Amino acid sequence: MRVGIEVGGTFTDLVALDGSRAIVTKVPSTPRSPDVGAFNALVAGGIPPAAVTDLVHGSTVATNAILERRGAKIAFVTTRGFRDILFLQRHDRRSIYDLRYAKPAPPVRRRDCFEVTERLDAQGNVVLPLDEGGIVRDLIPALAAGGYAAVAICLLSSYASPAHEMRLAELIGAALPDVRIAPSYAIAPEFREFERASTTVLSAYVQPVIDGYLDRFGDKLAGAGFAGRFSVMQSNGGRLPAVAMRRNAITALFSGPAAGVVGAIRQAGRSGRGDLITFDMGGTSTDVSLVQGGEAALAPETEVDGLPIRTPVLDIVSVGAGGGSLVWIDEGGMLRVGPRSAGADPGPACYGRGGTLPTVTDAHVVRGTIRPESFLGGTMSLDADAAHRAFQEVAAKLGTDVRGAAAAAIRLAVANIVRAIQLVSTERGRDPRDYALVPFGGAGPLLAAEIADELGISEILVPPNPGVISALGLLSADYVKVYGVTRRMMLDGAAPDALRTSEAALRSAAEAEFRDLGLDGGLEYALEADMRFVGQAFEIPVAIEEAALQGLTAADLAERFTAAHRRVYLHGGEPGRKAEIVSLRYSVRRRLDTLPEVRERDGADRTGTAPIRAADGRTLEAKLVPAATFSGAIAGPALIEGYSSTAWVPEGWSARRDEAGNLILRRTA
Amino acid sequence: MRLDPVEYAILSQSLIAAAREMGAKLIRSAYSTILREARDGSAALLDARGQTVAQAELIPMQLGTIGRIFGPCAAMFPPQTLKPGEVLFINDPYSGGQHLQDVFIFHPIHVDGEVIGFAASVAHHLDLGGGSPGLNPAAMDVYSEGLIIPPMKIELERDWHGGGFERLLRANVRVPHQTMGDFDAQMAANAIGVLRVQELAKRYGVDKVRATMAALQDYSETRMRAAIAAVPDGVYVGEDAVDDDGISDTPLPVRATVTVKGESISVDFTGTSPQVRTNLNAPFASTVSATVSAIKAALTSPDIPFNDGAMRPIDVEAPHGSLLNPRHPAPVRARMEACSRAWNAVMKALAKAVPERVIAPGFDTTTSFCLSHLRQHGWSVYLEVYGGGFGATAESDGCDGVDNPLSNCSNTPVEAMDQDFSFFRVTDYALRPDSAGGGAHRGGAGFVRRFEILEDGTKLALYSDRFRRAPEGLFGGGPGATGWCEVQRDGQRIDMRSKDQMELRRGDIVTLALGGGAGYGDPARRDAAAAARDFEDGLVTTAAGAA
Repeated sequence: MRVGIEVGGTFTDLVALDGSRAIVTKVPSTPRSPDVGAFNALVAGGIPPAAVTDLVHGSTVATNAILERRGAKIAFVTTRGFRDILFLQRHDRRSIYDLRYAKPAPPVRRRDCFEVTERLDAQGNVVLPLDEGGIVRDLIPALAAGGYAAVAICLLSSYASPAHEMRLAELIGAALPDVRIAPSYAIAPEFREFERASTTVLSAYVQPVIDGYLDRFGDKLAGAGFAGRFSVMQSNGGRLPAVAMRRNAITALFSGPAAGVVGAIRQAGRSGRGDLITFDMGGTSTDVSLVQGGEAALAPETEVDGLPIRTPVLDIVSVGAGGGSLVWIDEGGMLRVGPRSAGADPGPACYGRGGTLPTVTDAHVVRGTIRPESFLGGTMSLDADAAHRAFQEVAAKLGTDVRGAAAAAIRLAVANIVRAIQLVSTERGRDPRDYALVPFGGAGPLLAAEIADELGISEILVPPNPGVISALGLLSADYVKVYGVTRRMMLDGAAPDALRTSEAALRSAAEAEFRDLGLDGGLEYALEADMRFVGQAFEIPVAIEEAALQGLTAADLAERFTAAHRRVYLHGGEPGRKAEIVSLRYSVRRRLDTLPEVRERDGADRTGTAPIRAADGRTLEAKLVPAATFSGAIAGPALIEGYSSTAWVPEGWSARRDEAGNLILRRTA
Repeated sequence: MRLDPVEYAILSQSLIAAAREMGAKLIRSAYSTILREARDGSAALLDARGQTVAQAELIPMQLGTIGRIFGPCAAMFPPQTLKPGEVLFINDPYSGGQHLQDVFIFHPIHVDGEVIGFAASVAHHLDLGGGSPGLNPAAMDVYSEGLIIPPMKIELERDWHGGGFERLLRANVRVPHQTMGDFDAQMAANAIGVLRVQELAKRYGVDKVRATMAALQDYSETRMRAAIAAVPDGVYVGEDAVDDDGISDTPLPVRATVTVKGESISVDFTGTSPQVRTNLNAPFASTVSATVSAIKAALTSPDIPFNDGAMRPIDVEAPHGSLLNPRHPAPVRARMEACSRAWNAVMKALAKAVPERVIAPGFDTTTSFCLSHLRQHGWSVYLEVYGGGFGATAESDGCDGVDNPLSNCSNTPVEAMDQDFSFFRVTDYALRPDSAGGGAHRGGAGFVRRFEILEDGTKLALYSDRFRRAPEGLFGGGPGATGWCEVQRDGQRIDMRSKDQMELRRGDIVTLALGGGAGYGDPARRDAAAAARDFEDGLVTTAAGAA
């Protein structure tokens, strides 16, 4: 049996596949010890661990360890003169008029930051040799006295040559064998010292936490008879055997959103769709990404709690607009939705847990697109009157009634998500009309048609069980590792050969690493070069397919880059301007032999009609359709109600269930 | 035209998003370190009259007055006479600009044959000619500071990329590869702005876009008025001073008289030093920007869009011929020092009215530091802008090692400098212990950067301030440390003035120390745990400072 378990902030989701039988379940998370919730999910699903052959796990453990500053006690070692790079950061402010501005706090104190005498130049040549005497005399005793669980090392220019970091790690390791060592060359070998140092420090900080967590969960599973493969999900959209996380845990951050995108891609792929805009609308936020030909784009960097993490991650834009986002009128009289949220507690007013402020979910209740009797398959009751009451004040301020205010809130929530989609599409030179919209998360399919209308998108694909798509994504994630390296070279006649040489080196390193993890053979490779005009500081990713690499010429490269630059900036540079390659991202993937197939689980079973209060004041009778048994086609207005989510099919749209089990919505008017 | 509240909310957020996208693309496609790393540029959408509607929040100093410099352009080239493909250029400080290095470009937004607004950007250019690379501390008038561009109408097809105007610019700048690339980044940002507004007009109708442009300004005005109304009426005075003019040792006082009356505020800088011979003068547009930024930062929540509406309740006056409103052709390159003192003077005045909302004086100085070297293939110019420690507030310690509140430049990574410059090397970049003023809340720490010079003939130029006069604490808080710059040569120490230049040799070590911010409130009331933490972390090294 194959099992995916995704531990989120509020719920732990499980999807299990036993032959053609799918088990889908949701249990409350246990934030104090998340492995308990994960194990509970197995119990709730009636799954004996001994029967599990393949377990893929995603969790917020690493992210929460950083957000709550519950990582290990660590030290930071850098080149003499640069002890404060983690505190100086980039010398700027995120909020320019904030007089009380504080920088994001690194997870290491200044007293725990140390220096060693050494210096390399930008080519990796030695300017000042590593002062080994000083290391033995001063640094190692200080590290021993500090009682650190891990030491993060980031020396200047180590992206160009790891020699000094390697030697330093060796010396520390020999003297302090119980201390974990995280050298930056092994974690983020890319230039820009603050970003590399931040990544390295965060990795060292969460590593012991991840190790402890995986140990506990692994022991618990083994004790219950589990003997299958155990993998962990990463932010790059792939999985790796849990043992690989012991070397570098930084990719375990933000695995949940990535798993959702992977689940959406796989599920849409079954219906033959590869160009997608996915949006995952949960309680507090919405995550958006753009997928081209079945591949989600990678971003070179992300951040946690304001601190940069330089590691390739799925390119996902998050906005503070979810079902729990508050609807309010600001001091200037403007209607706003979010970014503040009612959270899980008290939650939307309709939850009846003491919330009195209106949320997007309450707006759905007022409109009639969320029906109290069908919420979460009817297992959770909602207070519709509370939702109405919550909107009275906003309605009065807007000079309308409760229904009008709820309609306004929904339009604004739609607009917030539309802007997030524009960030990943129009702002990057992509036309959203060329893509199918794939909504998921509990709140996504309720708004998808209205979002599609705003963007001119004419097709929507709703996967089955849209509320637990992340867990499905875990099950269907390939083994993936992405290597990011700085390889600066001018785009001239020598570049193609240099690229081929770099690729060959990366390939043999990757093959060795995968072999080491027991993942031999069947590897696929993808190369992406970050390029820019000479003098620019921000690069544009340019994909170079494996097939194209052998015959690649400098002119091909220039043409690919100029086209990409034009798409984003509307110009391709002045004639004759020189370009360069700055860094490479090399992805290695081993695909799963078979992809899982799941069907919508049983949920609400009501039929008939329900009144929908439309924005224009009319009341429509929407047909009610249970998602689990729906087949054939239906014209809107209709509500297709499932266990974890409801799809809203407005007038002018039709829906059908296709052979792959997806709901396909199309605009008919 | 009446807007429904939802369409208004959607359209206004879309305009703000478009301005933000312009700003992001300006920075991301730029070439010089000053624009791409320091992000010394801004972008905005203007209505058809040239009033700012929405801006990318990058540099406070540039944000106040993009609209102000538009006036002289519009007077010469009325908006409705502009054709698609024509754009306006200007940098003249005496036509509403700030200093020559800030070049403004305006692209008209045409919808159905009519101009409904402008996409505008401004960028600080690394070098625009003038008496020496990057900055010319010896300039005695604006002519020696660089190329002056009066209001110009450019036809892109004819005048740019190989055209006459572009070639004229290219011929007059020392690092054309970077400067001309940065102009292209501005063009890209503006073209994006034009496109986005046209898309909105197509989707929602041009009338609604126009109405939103007006309503968004009214909205900011309403919120600014509400914030001012919460300040007790009265006349409040604040004063600070620039160290000197770079030649004599006499301080240059900056005095603000702030009058709050109902929902309006007026600031009069009478009593401020007369203009000076050196480049410390601040053109009036800069003075307005600094003043409005101080008022907005102190009184309003950060989410109010900064546009012309936000400025309507604020009136600023400075005597003509003063440091804050000089007569042509006084040099103005280092305007930020006087502007920063104007910010401090306004804050100190507001401290008497709303003590819980203000910030104590920080180092609050723009230190512009330039190393240049003439090489076989032309000039190599490194110019970076440094801040220092922020002042403390009633609720928080000042931020350590951060840019001036009127600015928001990032640093250049040392590894980027190692790649780009071979005539010097950074050897230290560190916080300065004991540089923060004590207080119930302490100021922010300053920092040090040290450079090893690797080639003879390297030129150093800098302007800074607060080398003599420390930032003063508020309500019992202690002063922040002053800044300094020295050159170590053959075992000897050469002290630099805060506005200075020097020719360097291989082996010289240049140390630049940026000062700290002042404290707020009685140091005896400092939280013991916070004090202990600073002591353990070595930011405060004396037991007295930690107590």
